[in-house]
Amino acid sequence: MTSAIPAGSPTDRANDPFSYPATATGRDEAFDTNGVAHEHTAPLLRSLAALGVDEMQRRWDQARRLIRDNGVTYNVYGDPRGMDRPWELDPVPMVLPSAEWAAIARGLAQRAELLNRILLDLYGPQNLLARGLLPPELVLGSPGYLRPLRGVQVPSNTMLHLYGADLARAPDGGFRVLGDRTQAPSGGGYALENRIVLSRTMPRVFRDCRVQRLASHYRSLRDTLRGLAPRARESPRIVLLTPGPHNETYFEHAYLARYLGFALVEGADLTVRDRRVYVKTLGGLERVDVILRRLDDAFCDPLSLRSDSSLGVAGLVHAVRAGHVAVANALGSGVVETPAILGFLPGLCRELLGEDLRLPSVHTWWCGEPSALSHVLDQLPKLVLKPTFWSPSAPEPVFAGRLSSAELDALRVRIRAKPEAYVAQEQVALSTAPAWTRGRLEPRHVAIRAYVASTSHGFQVMPGGLTRVAATEESLVVSMQRGAGSKDLWVLAENEEVNPVTLLRTPAQRVEILRSGGDLPSRVADNLFWLGRYMERAEGTVRLMRSLIARLTDDSVPGEVPELPTLLRALEVNGDFDPGTLITPTGTRAGGVDLSRALFADHPPHALRATVTAGHRAASVVRDRLSSDTWHVVSRIHRLLDDASRRPAFHLSDAFDLLGELLLLFSALSGLSRENMTHGPGWRFSDMGRRVERLHHTVRLLRGILVPADEDDVPALEALLEIADSIITYRTRYLGAIEVAPVLDLLLTDESNPRSVAYQLLALDEHIAELPRARRSATRPEEARIVLRALARVQLADVHALSAVGTGATRETLDAQLAELEHVGPALAESLTRSYLTHAEPTQSLDGLT
Amino acid sequence: MLYRVTHVTTYAYEDSVSISHNETRVAPRRTPGQIPRRTQLLVEPMPVVLAQDVDYFGNIMHFFSLEESHDRLSVTAVSEVDVTGVEPPAAQLTPAWESVPDAVRRDRSYYGLEAFGFTFDSPFVRPEAELEAYARQSFEPGRPVLDAAFELTRRIFQDFKYESGVTTIATPLGEVMRARRGVCQDFAHLEIAMLRSLGLPARYVSGYVRTHPPAGRARLVGADASHAWLSLYVPGFGYVDLDPTNGTIPREEHVTVAWGRDFGDVSPVKGVILGGGEHSLTVSVDVAAA
Repeated sequence: MTSAIPAGSPTDRANDPFSYPATATGRDEAFDTNGVAHEHTAPLLRSLAALGVDEMQRRWDQARRLIRDNGVTYNVYGDPRGMDRPWELDPVPMVLPSAEWAAIARGLAQRAELLNRILLDLYGPQNLLARGLLPPELVLGSPGYLRPLRGVQVPSNTMLHLYGADLARAPDGGFRVLGDRTQAPSGGGYALENRIVLSRTMPRVFRDCRVQRLASHYRSLRDTLRGLAPRARESPRIVLLTPGPHNETYFEHAYLARYLGFALVEGADLTVRDRRVYVKTLGGLERVDVILRRLDDAFCDPLSLRSDSSLGVAGLVHAVRAGHVAVANALGSGVVETPAILGFLPGLCRELLGEDLRLPSVHTWWCGEPSALSHVLDQLPKLVLKPTFWSPSAPEPVFAGRLSSAELDALRVRIRAKPEAYVAQEQVALSTAPAWTRGRLEPRHVAIRAYVASTSHGFQVMPGGLTRVAATEESLVVSMQRGAGSKDLWVLAENEEVNPVTLLRTPAQRVEILRSGGDLPSRVADNLFWLGRYMERAEGTVRLMRSLIARLTDDSVPGEVPELPTLLRALEVNGDFDPGTLITPTGTRAGGVDLSRALFADHPPHALRATVTAGHRAASVVRDRLSSDTWHVVSRIHRLLDDASRRPAFHLSDAFDLLGELLLLFSALSGLSRENMTHGPGWRFSDMGRRVERLHHTVRLLRGILVPADEDDVPALEALLEIADSIITYRTRYLGAIEVAPVLDLLLTDESNPRSVAYQLLALDEHIAELPRARRSATRPEEARIVLRALARVQLADVHALSAVGTGATRETLDAQLAELEHVGPALAESLTRSYLTHAEPTQSLDGLT
Repeated sequence: MLYRVTHVTTYAYEDSVSISHNETRVAPRRTPGQIPRRTQLLVEPMPVVLAQDVDYFGNIMHFFSLEESHDRLSVTAVSEVDVTGVEPPAAQLTPAWESVPDAVRRDRSYYGLEAFGFTFDSPFVRPEAELEAYARQSFEPGRPVLDAAFELTRRIFQDFKYESGVTTIATPLGEVMRARRGVCQDFAHLEIAMLRSLGLPARYVSGYVRTHPPAGRARLVGADASHAWLSLYVPGFGYVDLDPTNGTIPREEHVTVAWGRDFGDVSPVKGVILGGGEHSLTVSVDVAAA
């Protein structure tokens, strides 16, 4: 059913969702003013058009789901919903022909070389200042110039290992550099994820377009970092230092750490001993050779740099000065990020490299120079004003053209008062590129962040990058913090073959076989432990609630459900919620609203949703240690409860279905844990968390349900077996009515039932014996003794004696035994924390002043 | 004058400290007015590492770490320094203060750049409008820079009251200005901020000053404290020390240890500890004629 209008006619194009005409004034990356695709973008656009609108929309939805499921997030500061905002990816990549990219890449490599040379000088002889090539204000007055790092010998004369440049195409068609990122450029991980999502969503299109691959860039980076290790070692230990989960780009820290095979650490995971850096692991301290940092340098060492930093490693600067550890990028490299330097780069390039600067910067004036100042004051409405040195308290860029004449005058006064604090830049009309919006392509302003890595044979540019897209057609600002989206950048391959490179080893390289796993950072073990605990706790609550609701959705009225009070008692004992919210005092059926409150409230702290939120947080901190499937399931559970909590009313049958779905996810989680995680210390800690929690939950359940002896125990016993998922086992073993003693055996003393108390204790005993400290020590550690004592108590228990009902219709002997066992979980958790996980001692900075 | 300086810093911690990393700047540096003979540094308990280094400003710095659990740390530095002092230039011969900022900015020699580095804001020296207004009363148009600076130093000495315990190192200078009270660090920072607000290069100096006992009584051992003052760079003449706490021009009675942009660069003993809980700190300084 193709259209009767001949392809390519203007009418056709006007209605064509896969084309639009570029405006006469601006440049468009894909179309000319007639809406005809540029030669290099034509194959892509043909492929997209061949998919059609519906298919395109379907793929886009799929891509977004993939992003959400992979947990690709970006945190926006100051936005309460900002944590874990899904990453915005547009399905239409930006395309650049290989020849154009080659020229850009040469320019970027030169620029990286230049900036590195500048850094080496500023932290060395400072000849550039003495010779007047760079105004000393930009260095000596910069908060980014870290004096304690001057005179440090950096390995292979490189301070800049990973460099990022923001680029945009100007109306004349050429690219300009808008800014340099020399501190710890972000976005590379997102670029990689964009590529993976897009190549999965549109595999045919991707293959047909012959796109240059990104993996080799990361391999170079990894090799470079390996080469920085101060000790000659087969596998130097490299860590990625992150400020933590609250950082805006934490997702990519975890992502890159996993992709590159480095441990993700926070400052508190590292310690300096004898001017060497170590990571605190379960097995003790392990020497660190190279730190890839995503933490701003001033925060890296509270002793020698900012003393108010709680994110750094005390003594790091001295370790660096002593040459015992390498940091990439070198501490202090942020000093050349100031836009004020841009105007001086052409002169510096001729001076330092003997070449002309290949890739021009956007026109920039530093107002500290009198001639620049008068030009800026003169041309103010055409310019964008920025602070010379960025800081969290520095003013936002000002687009002077949008100011009233009174505001312009006020700005002039401010600039005249402190000219050296201002940088002015020409406002570049960014080019546009097609974005998929409301079922068609629409132009959006774009800018590119490109990445350069130092290698043993010079600086190497990643063939691709992160394209940032303005949020609306009018918007000129492309900043992820201001709601912009992203695109993949496809650099086409020309004559050479596209070689798929992966970061997997080639057969020629022999890998040192490692199995220890004792290098697990204690903080990670701590979070895995809590992940296990929270998820098991949540699962217990869900089981309990499902049994409860199953009884309420039956046609019986509450008065006819004899075990109901018992179940409610169990829930109460468990601290899951206040049963009053669920069942009204008259015993009538729970209303929908009350029920949803009970299920999805954030309070009390043991409420289901609060538990899951805490588990999700623990998982997000150790995301680099979890398989993507595991993370996926944890996120699903979190999201299900989140979505459900927003529903105005909840009916019992909906709740029952939801709880059923949750149970399936929890089962998936325990299956993944058992089958998909290496059974190393990390797994042991997460499983110990699970066991400790199940032990505790089961003991409390038994105590809550069995200690009060009802006249007719059967309904309560049945519910108990159901909650403990042991009803089938019971039925296959015992044919008659359900009785207390066999139930107790099954849930307390049976070592083969994965839900029994005995089973949890045996599992814990095995785990503890395998932990690094226990293996080194000749005597039993405290946690092992706690478990053994409890195990002996359970193994020696006589279930018939325990079933006996004493005076006052309670099982007193059972109560006494269970009361003892109830201490075991908390005591064990505390002991494990003390032995393995504590490093939470607070650090203090002392200034020597009375 | 040959001095023997004993500087003892002692921390006592409520809880034990498992690790402590420290930087000290307690060894007097060489200056045109003094020659350090020797410094002995004693750290108890014995540190795992004790390394000497020279910092960005040319000060002698020691880095040391304690990696065994301890609940007390003492750092004792005993130095012998020969102080001759430098006679300050005749104030009337120094250039008009307005010419100084430009002269320093244009001077790309080693000393010029060094001085230029002392014209900028630094973590403990932030500009405040009131400070500049106070300074301008002494910096009249065309007045020789040192003449004006001497007067400013005397005014701070007269207008401000020395009182310990009312400020900490974190007290903003605006507050010190309004309260007109503080200790030597505050006054040094205050005058530095005032000079820098006019574009003049001023650095912070840490060291010791000899105090005179009341007539007829013996000098009290250990009563002297570590001291702080500042130094103004005068093009063509070099640095001139100014002591607003005592309203004097330091000569033979001041022993210079280190200098930097502000206290943060030259803190005599600073450290980061793990654990420790509450702590108490005692510092004693004894400056005696050797």
